[in-house]
Amino acid sequence: MSFAKYRHSFLIGLQSNLVYRWNFAVRASFSLVHLAYVFILWGAAFAGKDSVAGFDLRQTLTYFIVMLVLQFFISAMNEDYEVSEEIRNGLINQFLLKPINYFAYRFSIFAAARLVSGTLALLPILIASPLLLPFMSLPQESWTYVAAIPALIMSACIQFTLAYCFGMLTFWFLEIQSFVILSLAIETVFGGQVFPLDLLPRWLYEISSYLPYYYQMYFPAALLTGRIPGPDEAIRGLCIQFFWVFALYGVAQLLWVRGLRRHTAVGG
Amino acid sequence: MSFAQYVRIWLACARYSVVRTMMFRGDFIMWSMVELFWMAVNLGLIGVIYQHTDSIAGWNQWEMTLLVGTSLLIQRLLMGFFWTNLFELGRNVRSGALDFFVAQPGRLLFMVSTRKLDLDGFINVPIAIGVIVYACRQLGLDPSFAQIAIYALFILCGLGIHYATLLFFISLVFWLQSAKGIEGGYFGLNEFSRLPREAMRGVASVVFVYTLPVVIVTNVPSRTLLHGIQLGDTLWLIGAAALWLTIAITVFHRGLRRYTSASS
Repeated sequence: MSFAKYRHSFLIGLQSNLVYRWNFAVRASFSLVHLAYVFILWGAAFAGKDSVAGFDLRQTLTYFIVMLVLQFFISAMNEDYEVSEEIRNGLINQFLLKPINYFAYRFSIFAAARLVSGTLALLPILIASPLLLPFMSLPQESWTYVAAIPALIMSACIQFTLAYCFGMLTFWFLEIQSFVILSLAIETVFGGQVFPLDLLPRWLYEISSYLPYYYQMYFPAALLTGRIPGPDEAIRGLCIQFFWVFALYGVAQLLWVRGLRRHTAVGG
Repeated sequence: MSFAQYVRIWLACARYSVVRTMMFRGDFIMWSMVELFWMAVNLGLIGVIYQHTDSIAGWNQWEMTLLVGTSLLIQRLLMGFFWTNLFELGRNVRSGALDFFVAQPGRLLFMVSTRKLDLDGFINVPIAIGVIVYACRQLGLDPSFAQIAIYALFILCGLGIHYATLLFFISLVFWLQSAKGIEGGYFGLNEFSRLPREAMRGVASVVFVYTLPVVIVTNVPSRTLLHGIQLGDTLWLIGAAALWLTIAITVFHRGLRRYTSASS
């Protein structure tokens, strides 16, 4: 199987996403507004305290800064809606007739989009870095960074595959937006975007560590900010994350095969 | 067109929205759950933080719940009345579908802002009110009729300010390629409505309290229930609502001059 065609779709993805460069830049700038909210809220919550749940204010703020950067590099943004639109409008028909894997095609577009959005998001963050750096406190242990590399790659895979699966629901439902937003709400909480998950009661944290949402965003961010206590916990997390990558890929393939049985291609 | 004719148009649109929602009941239930879950997320954040601290900028847990409940109430009303309409405005400008509204005999801003109602937004309004009432009871508050009436007036002012903020951001689509991601600006600013004014220091206070009305939009109504009616705050909030509506409407009409209709 040739990868040249996916390289081409990646390059087309780069071009089409660069059209929206200002939107990404504006969106990244708005994220700094969110960061200001986070700084004010947690700064007020930490007032008169040295630490909350074993972490000081700088470590907590570092967590949110890393989380913000990762969002632009690995999170799925519109991929679910794009897949849904292609199914609803019959655009997937062209992929059924050609020797191209639809999942791989969409993944190459996703990789291109995140490369553009991540790079553009870095600009406002770099501009704001003189303000942000005094609040940052990164871990010293090298193993956290080594473990973070596969964790980031697998997080991107989980993000994309979940979005792809939601897009596949269009074979059964006319509108998938409500499913997507409900999942986004769950992901926002159990992905650690609202607060670091280690602030949850212990039993709830343990449950969340087995859900795919934990590995979508929280796990790599926790590695990069020293919230995973040791290499053993990191390896355990990577194993569970690896399981979720393949489990979700299996679900995606199942939905594709089952969905195509319901699909009717019309028109000429 | 007379005021009565606008009311009739609005009622017809409302009836259409109800009928349409009842045609897609499953979707309506799903969206109601989505909105409910988002409200729970906001309240959950307060719950988690107060497990580790007693006070945020001098506000205790139930005062913060009252503040967040007020923010949720205003946002549910915005979702119910205006969100879908303004969100679609961004798409319509890009696709040229705004022509459909331009060709209608009423004022354009009224037509684009009121075409649809989202019942799933309204269905969670009683829940937001329930959160506010529960927080008041936990705080042992017994507001007078005047306090409740002024609180309701402030909620309307807050709705006006939120509408103006969203309209302002969506109107940027007249200058940009698309509104994709632009609505994030509204959500970004809206987050500050869930913070106590006392948490704002220095530049943050200048920007989010005195320049943009994002903090006072919830702090002023909440303070009315907590500490009674204050004339200065009342004038401030009403003035801010009038000012921001004027700015947003001006930006919308400036942007409209750039609209070049559908390409076909």
